[in-house]
Amino acid sequence: MSDPRGAAVASDSDASDRNGESDPSADDATGRESDATGRESDADATESVDAAAAESAGAPTDRESRREIETDRWLGIAGAALALVGLGVLVRQSSLVLAGAVGVGYAVYARAGDAPTPTLAVTRSVSDETPAPGDEVRVTVRAENVGEGALPDLRLVDGVPPGLAVVDGPARVGTALRPGTAVTFEYIVRAARGDHEWEAMTAITRDAAGARERTTAFDAPTAIACTPELSAGGDLPLRGLTTVHHGRVPTDVGGAGVEFHATREYRRGDPLKRIDWNRRARTGELSTVELREERAATVVLLVDARESAYAAADPDAETAVEASVSAAGQAFSALLDGGDRVGIAALSPLDCWLPPGSGTVHAARGRETLATDPALAPTPSDERFYRSLWLRRFRRRIPADAQVLFFTPLVDDTAASLARRIDAHGHLVTVLSPDPTTTETAGQRLTTFERRQRLRALRSAGIRALEWGDDSFPVAVAAATRRWSR
Amino acid sequence: MRPLAVAGVLAVAVGLLAALDRGVASAISPTSTVVTLIGVLGVVQGIRYANARRERRRVPADPGDPERRAPAAVPGAALDERIARAASPAPGGYRDRRDLRDRIREVSITAVARDRNCSREAAAAAVDDGTWTDDGAAAAFFDTRTAYPLRVRLSAGVRGRSNYWYGLRAVIDEIERIESRGDA
Repeated sequence: MSDPRGAAVASDSDASDRNGESDPSADDATGRESDATGRESDADATESVDAAAAESAGAPTDRESRREIETDRWLGIAGAALALVGLGVLVRQSSLVLAGAVGVGYAVYARAGDAPTPTLAVTRSVSDETPAPGDEVRVTVRAENVGEGALPDLRLVDGVPPGLAVVDGPARVGTALRPGTAVTFEYIVRAARGDHEWEAMTAITRDAAGARERTTAFDAPTAIACTPELSAGGDLPLRGLTTVHHGRVPTDVGGAGVEFHATREYRRGDPLKRIDWNRRARTGELSTVELREERAATVVLLVDARESAYAAADPDAETAVEASVSAAGQAFSALLDGGDRVGIAALSPLDCWLPPGSGTVHAARGRETLATDPALAPTPSDERFYRSLWLRRFRRRIPADAQVLFFTPLVDDTAASLARRIDAHGHLVTVLSPDPTTTETAGQRLTTFERRQRLRALRSAGIRALEWGDDSFPVAVAAATRRWSR
Repeated sequence: MRPLAVAGVLAVAVGLLAALDRGVASAISPTSTVVTLIGVLGVVQGIRYANARRERRRVPADPGDPERRAPAAVPGAALDERIARAASPAPGGYRDRRDLRDRIREVSITAVARDRNCSREAAAAAVDDGTWTDDGAAAAFFDTRTAYPLRVRLSAGVRGRSNYWYGLRAVIDEIERIESRGDA
């Protein structure tokens, strides 16, 4: 365990001389930790004292025993002592025998105690339960020893949600707590999209000699929900599968619109402004100009959130799922603004389905789905993904006139194969692929070639596909739009 | 261990008796040989116990690294592990090598078919007989009748790597050349 350098303080009247780091004898640990974090820590110390006074009778937090082991720190000391005594006897040196006796003392010391089972009242608070992405959230953890016995060596490691990164201070502390005393430590996490629940806090206790170690988990539920605002971006050209409602997608149906489609023989009742007067002047015949009808589309945004999609060019970079969800949010907003009906689905072991719709209530639902649906969580699900089961359910749900915008990094054949199958079932598919590949090693280069070939194969099969890497999604969409309109 | 344990228990019992009853103590003659024997026994047993520390694997509690966000998987990282296994100069791993070779062959065929604008069958034939590339190592990777170039074999021998590893690297370089030609 690393040394705790966070704003850790023990609190009660004589806490300052009992609060150590990993070594319980380090009595000045509190002072050093407070100094390390400056003024804020001093304020925390004060709060902690007040809080300790107010909550000193806190109920113990539910705990779960995880592990109990011998640390083997003193293993061999008895052997060394015996060898010294034996050597002393052999060479007839009483000083060596005496030195061996000291070793025996240490061996007895190592076997004297047991790692205590901690009884703690753990509370965790966050400065903002609904932060925006990128906001810094201060987390304050307080653990009070509400048990009967002292904890001579206690290490607390908080269960930070796997989707969040700590940007300031370690989420852990090492201290010693007598009954009735408490320790408080703080750290700061950077908020990221999604619902984030804290995992159980791990407490590791040792006996005074450090010979035995006990690991216990304390469950103190805490959560934050981070819901990004949807910004319209990437005015994506849709494919020619539309509903009967008026919208923005040009069709091959003649009628009212902007773009010229055809001319036909005049029928009684046609509006005067649609009569082709030039032709009338040339030939004397009356004919009517037909324009391409622009209709609304039904679009389902399908986000690949299988385990393989949680990929990035660097282990600490944003995953392709994050890039996909962000792009899907922009497309969702842009399509709704354009009058189309938009739904959301996830290619994930967990079910996620928002039927296509429109309106402000639907926009709010879509935003909520993209931000916090468990299927689109920032970390992959442990459940297993069944492709044929998922496809059956998806086909049952998707409206017949819906087209699909499929956000996938295309890092395996499954995504490409599903895109082809959905397209073959009559739902025109556009693949939008964030590029998570890199080319530093042989395996990475090979994976890059395979992905590139999948994209080409999709395009050859008549499926529109665009990818974006360092470019932003709207820039990639603009470039693809120019290409597709040629 | 049982006889040793019995001997130990007996020795402790005699020692206790000797401490309590001087008659027993005087019956044990503390000759130089007896004392030396006790000393040797103490040293040997002591070293044995102390040695147990070296053999014991210590597994301290590992609370992990909760401050770090769950790392993302890098595409190709798992493949790199497979390549390292398959390209190891150690004997065995035939199946790994074959599976990996099949996978790379598919990528090569697709790249050649696109580059030469030919059918997959024609591309497969070119890849299998080594005519798809000018690089001897890349050609030998798929064509078992072609030997790896001498420089590759020498290099593999000196650096303790397998020919397979050099062939695989050459194939990937060749695919990259073909791909970049197509993109240009």
